[in-house]
Amino acid sequence: MNAGITIFGIICLNYLLIRLMPGDPSLSIIPRDPKFRGLRDYMISFFGLDRPQWEQFVIYLQRLFTLDWGLSYQDHRPVADILLHDLGWTLLLVGTSTILTVLIGIAIGAYSAIRRGKPFDFVSTGIGIFLYGMPIFWLGLVLQSAFRKNSVFQGWIPWWPALPTSGYYDDRLIPWNWDILHVADAFLHLLLPALTLSLGTLAGISLVMRNSLIDVMTEDFVTTARAKGLSPRQVLRRHILPNGMPPMVSLIALDIAFILGGAYQVEVIFRYQGIGFRTIEAIGSLDYPLLQFIIVIGGAAVVIANLLADFLLLWLDPRIKIS
Amino acid sequence: MGTVEVVKVGGVISPFRARAIVVGRRMQDIGLQVFHNKTAMAGLIILIFFTVLAVAAPLIAPYGPLSAVPDVGPLTLPAPGHPFGTNQFGYDIYSQVIWGTQISLLVGVLAAAVASVIGTAVGLVSGFVGGWIDEVIMRFNDVVLSIPWLVLMIVIAARLNYLDLVGIILVIGLTGWSVTARVVRSQVLSLKERMFVERGRMIGSSNTHILLRHIFPNAFPLIFANTILTVAVSILSESVLAFLNLSVKSNVSWGRIIAEAYQHDALTIGMAEWLIVPGLCIVFLVFGFYLFGYALDEILNPRLRRR
Repeated sequence: MNAGITIFGIICLNYLLIRLMPGDPSLSIIPRDPKFRGLRDYMISFFGLDRPQWEQFVIYLQRLFTLDWGLSYQDHRPVADILLHDLGWTLLLVGTSTILTVLIGIAIGAYSAIRRGKPFDFVSTGIGIFLYGMPIFWLGLVLQSAFRKNSVFQGWIPWWPALPTSGYYDDRLIPWNWDILHVADAFLHLLLPALTLSLGTLAGISLVMRNSLIDVMTEDFVTTARAKGLSPRQVLRRHILPNGMPPMVSLIALDIAFILGGAYQVEVIFRYQGIGFRTIEAIGSLDYPLLQFIIVIGGAAVVIANLLADFLLLWLDPRIKIS
Repeated sequence: MGTVEVVKVGGVISPFRARAIVVGRRMQDIGLQVFHNKTAMAGLIILIFFTVLAVAAPLIAPYGPLSAVPDVGPLTLPAPGHPFGTNQFGYDIYSQVIWGTQISLLVGVLAAAVASVIGTAVGLVSGFVGGWIDEVIMRFNDVVLSIPWLVLMIVIAARLNYLDLVGIILVIGLTGWSVTARVVRSQVLSLKERMFVERGRMIGSSNTHILLRHIFPNAFPLIFANTILTVAVSILSESVLAFLNLSVKSNVSWGRIIAEAYQHDALTIGMAEWLIVPGLCIVFLVFGFYLFGYALDEILNPRLRRR
């Protein structure tokens, strides 16, 4: 119910936001030139830009729910086709790095919580906060410069690797085929963007995991469990983790929005032409149809992730009841 | 111990005076804890360093932020006199980095202040009043939190065609209050059930009085720690916007220096400092705010205290 209201809110705010941007979108469809006058008028009415705002809004809603998302102003391809293509690559990037981040982040966070105050905790928390404060785009630029062909490091260390720094696979391999060559090349192209995104978001997860567990460790039942002679491992598995994990689930879901924000930066830096790259492009060219559905998809993804997290919590924590 | 003397000598003192003394003691106590907390001190030292750099920029920086140096041309490699070289317009990059401190710090602190004031007001009202108002506010908050923040900022920044300092502060402040509102709301929800609120009601205090005199002061330490963390986020936001060429045009910020370094392939042409130094400045400044903010949170939040 709430999720439905939120998604409807996103749909409305999204429409408003996009129309509030300055500039004339018809200019990106076709330039203002006396030669094209007839064609221009035709195009403007074809895309419905001459209709009153409320009518455009109704059409937007209709389109959204009938999944007929119209044509992009820029290259006149169906928005659904463009998004389907981009979404695949973005999911690959975001999915890979989210899984990596969550697994490694939870492991590091848990370990430093157990060793609170010990050198491991000190070092990992320090590095964590340091990474947490790093602008993702800058991290991407530095990694890109470090692993490009003829990088500075290759001059110093002969075996320093050079990795692909732009695109999702080599231009010479177009068109895409499902063979070992293409998959291997796509994997190589994925390495740097995924590494950047993971490093940029890892710290958030591990720091929160650490604090969440430490929070649980100060509870009385943990002291009781220790007092009745359980081994530290048993205390951790049976008492600390089950109580420390639920907050993590909702935080990871909230983090999806943050990871998406990071993915936008990474895609721009590495010219990894997924949803984020397309968004920045669409904002520049005021491509309304493309932009509005991208934002709705992004927002809906975040809402659905949160909804899934709530269900997961319900299953993990029997104390929570459906209200 | 002068404050104690005042109480004794004065005999009857006004409630305001008494309150000031209590608050003063509390601040002293917190100050002492900060002083003995290594993490907080490390953060504070970093913050003081950058604040001094920002305030004294006109004295330290050998050249202006946006003026070509007289002795060498554009894109010269690092050399004595120009430790980081010059950029594509012949501006001294070392000076630019120093001047950039001002914008990054100013935008970060003021945007966080805007976000905190809005977030606190929204969170207080939402948590205290409850009912349908809370419901409406929280749904709106969900919507704002769900739209990718970068898109939200870019669209609003693009709307303000020419971005001056106030514009960029408002863009970041107006898009950054949602998390604060949530934190404050949940804090208010728990404070609302505490005994002192009930006592306040019993002696007939108005809702406004309870909210401003009992709940807000008790939530304040947490709000303050949260604001410090918001500053860090705001600095990062500014750098991303500047990198996308959507920040203050009339002055130089670290994000913009990085963007220019990137456009001119600084690392390949042997000007690594151009790319690396402003980035490290962002990292360290944000690091400082995080260290200080987390330590403060640990001091002020009784649940995190160590046994």
